[in-house]
Amino acid sequence: MQTYGQEGALNTDTELSHVLHDSKHQAAFYVEENKPQDLLRSFISETGLSEEEAVEVLKAVKGGGGGGSGDFSASLTALELLQKEEELRSIVTFSSQLDESLGGGIPVGKITEVCGVPGIGKTQLCLQLAVDVQVPQCFGGVEGQVMFIDTEGSFLLQRVTDIAAAAVRHCSLLAEDDEQRAATETFTVETVLSNIFLVRCHDHVELLAELHLLPDFLSQHPKIRLLVIDSVAFPFRLLFDELSQRTRLLNGVGQQLITMAINYNISVVITNQMTTRIRDGQSHIVPALGECWGHAPTIRLLLQWEGSRRLATIFKSPCHMETMVQYQITPEGFRDADQSEMPQSKQPRMDTDQSAADPKETSS
Amino acid sequence: MVVLREGMCPGLDEDLLRDLRAADIKTVEDLVSSDIEGLAQKCSVSYKALFAIRRVLLAQHTAFPVSGADLYEELLSSTAILSTGNPSLDKLLDSGLYTGEITELSGGPGSGKSQVCFGVAVHISYQLKQSVIYIDTTGGLAASRLLQMLQAETSNTEEQMEALQRIHVFRLFDVYALLGCLYSLRSGGLQQASVGGGSVKAVIVDSVSAVISPLLGGKQNEGMSLMIQVAGVLKTMAKDFNVAALVTNHVTRSGSGEVQPGLGVSWSHIPRTRILLERVEKAAAVSRPSLRSAKLIKSSRQPCHIKEEFDLQWWSRSEKGSSGKRKLDETDS
Repeated sequence: MQTYGQEGALNTDTELSHVLHDSKHQAAFYVEENKPQDLLRSFISETGLSEEEAVEVLKAVKGGGGGGSGDFSASLTALELLQKEEELRSIVTFSSQLDESLGGGIPVGKITEVCGVPGIGKTQLCLQLAVDVQVPQCFGGVEGQVMFIDTEGSFLLQRVTDIAAAAVRHCSLLAEDDEQRAATETFTVETVLSNIFLVRCHDHVELLAELHLLPDFLSQHPKIRLLVIDSVAFPFRLLFDELSQRTRLLNGVGQQLITMAINYNISVVITNQMTTRIRDGQSHIVPALGECWGHAPTIRLLLQWEGSRRLATIFKSPCHMETMVQYQITPEGFRDADQSEMPQSKQPRMDTDQSAADPKETSS
Repeated sequence: MVVLREGMCPGLDEDLLRDLRAADIKTVEDLVSSDIEGLAQKCSVSYKALFAIRRVLLAQHTAFPVSGADLYEELLSSTAILSTGNPSLDKLLDSGLYTGEITELSGGPGSGKSQVCFGVAVHISYQLKQSVIYIDTTGGLAASRLLQMLQAETSNTEEQMEALQRIHVFRLFDVYALLGCLYSLRSGGLQQASVGGGSVKAVIVDSVSAVISPLLGGKQNEGMSLMIQVAGVLKTMAKDFNVAALVTNHVTRSGSGEVQPGLGVSWSHIPRTRILLERVEKAAAVSRPSLRSAKLIKSSRQPCHIKEEFDLQWWSRSEKGSSGKRKLDETDS
């Protein structure tokens, strides 16, 4: 009922918003919706407004009340949704295997969560994505900007320059026609760095405040295609006496993030830490922040060690099978794993060729 | 709750209405539950007149008793059982989703709730040729997956597109938007959706907990009332329009570590049938990660705690094995 109250307050005086707030009246007006004349008359006598004002208020309550969504035309058919999905490109990860299992890369308009133990490469993947999202469109990229919210202080500029240099080099080697050659001239390490907006949040209050302000920032910077929060777990694992409050705040964060992802066509990538849970006398390592939070991300990627190999598993996704791929972290960034067995000089380029070409194929 | 109005019943004229207002009697409910004797003195009307008004109002607003035989007749003519398309789930649900009822799926992340919802939506739109309303509150709806499921059913592109057009998607991310949407569906939106192809037979809300749980917990009372409002409008809509309502819910762990559906005890009375989905954690399941178990935890037709296992790949069954991924690639290119 709250929105209706607010809606009223926006349009008229506070007294009226009290009237609207009164749930009794609300319900009564709903019941009588099919008798607009009676409704109007009783409403006028109830509030002592002029007829014009009353009509305006009722319009606001009826039309704007449901956030504009009450109208049936706000719905999409699944076919329209499919077309929309196909228009949006994914962000390549530079690991062709992972891209393939994700159907082209990290999807835009969804929340992807990366979980893993310390040192497994969560932040590396985030930095890689922050660079990858800027790959020019003629190379099959998204050519967008990135918003990076750093809560752990793990954003290392030195690594970003390394990864960016590798990506720029890779694209310049790929350039074939004039359009691509022209694109490589603007795709440099400096432009990559200037397209990254970094916010450092020290605690959960700062993070929540930033998320509240973010929609404005996103409308001012329509080129932003990626939002990274590294990590969402850290501020929320500190200093919470009351667990139910944490769950409530986190659920709110989840809904805020998906709203932004869909309204602004951005990909949201968040990282999460791992925690230990004792079940049946055995300890299991599971993603932190509790089971409830697990529903917030659309896709969950689990990074884990198996001996000395690094494995990435998709273990929650509405449109992908559970798959496991191997990857590695090289000085150039996040890459496929099998290249280490291959001759060093040639293989990296081959692999990344493929990954960069993948989305191009899908879009054509 | 209905506001008292002039001409609602004989004897309720403008003057009396003004007097009643002055005595803070505004709705039918107020009048019916008031102390008539005291009120008669306050408004200086006869006790008899007020008493008569009350009787008429009560008669106007009461519910009527219906005989069991009539009810059964109506049930036979209006209730439909919608198959979910998956035999194991149908067995649990006593052959499918019943219209006029709320069915709930709960489970942890990745337990297959959304997949079951997709499967139901596809089955109703393609096999039964009826419309479906899909309210997505988590952003989890992937139309590419719906297409993939349809491709398992038919290779005719036109039929696939037609079926997709019968699925109407709302993407709402807060409880106020959800309420607004449900109210507008109830007051005419459902018929509107029926235009062009079959009538709406199912309303799917995936997930109801995602919008409600940010308001619950701690000392928040507002969330509770909003939750019951959502429940109320879903229930009346299911009944009035004879649609099956399918909702999903998350799970929490009780003190003893047992998994139970979220949203607490008040919500547990709302759905008629509840199913708990879980991953199968057995040695045999390692080779088939898409295997899930479904347990009936509330039902008015079947004994509770029946357990069934099913494979999420059922809906893309025409190609076995690595089909799921392969097929997605095909749709992409």
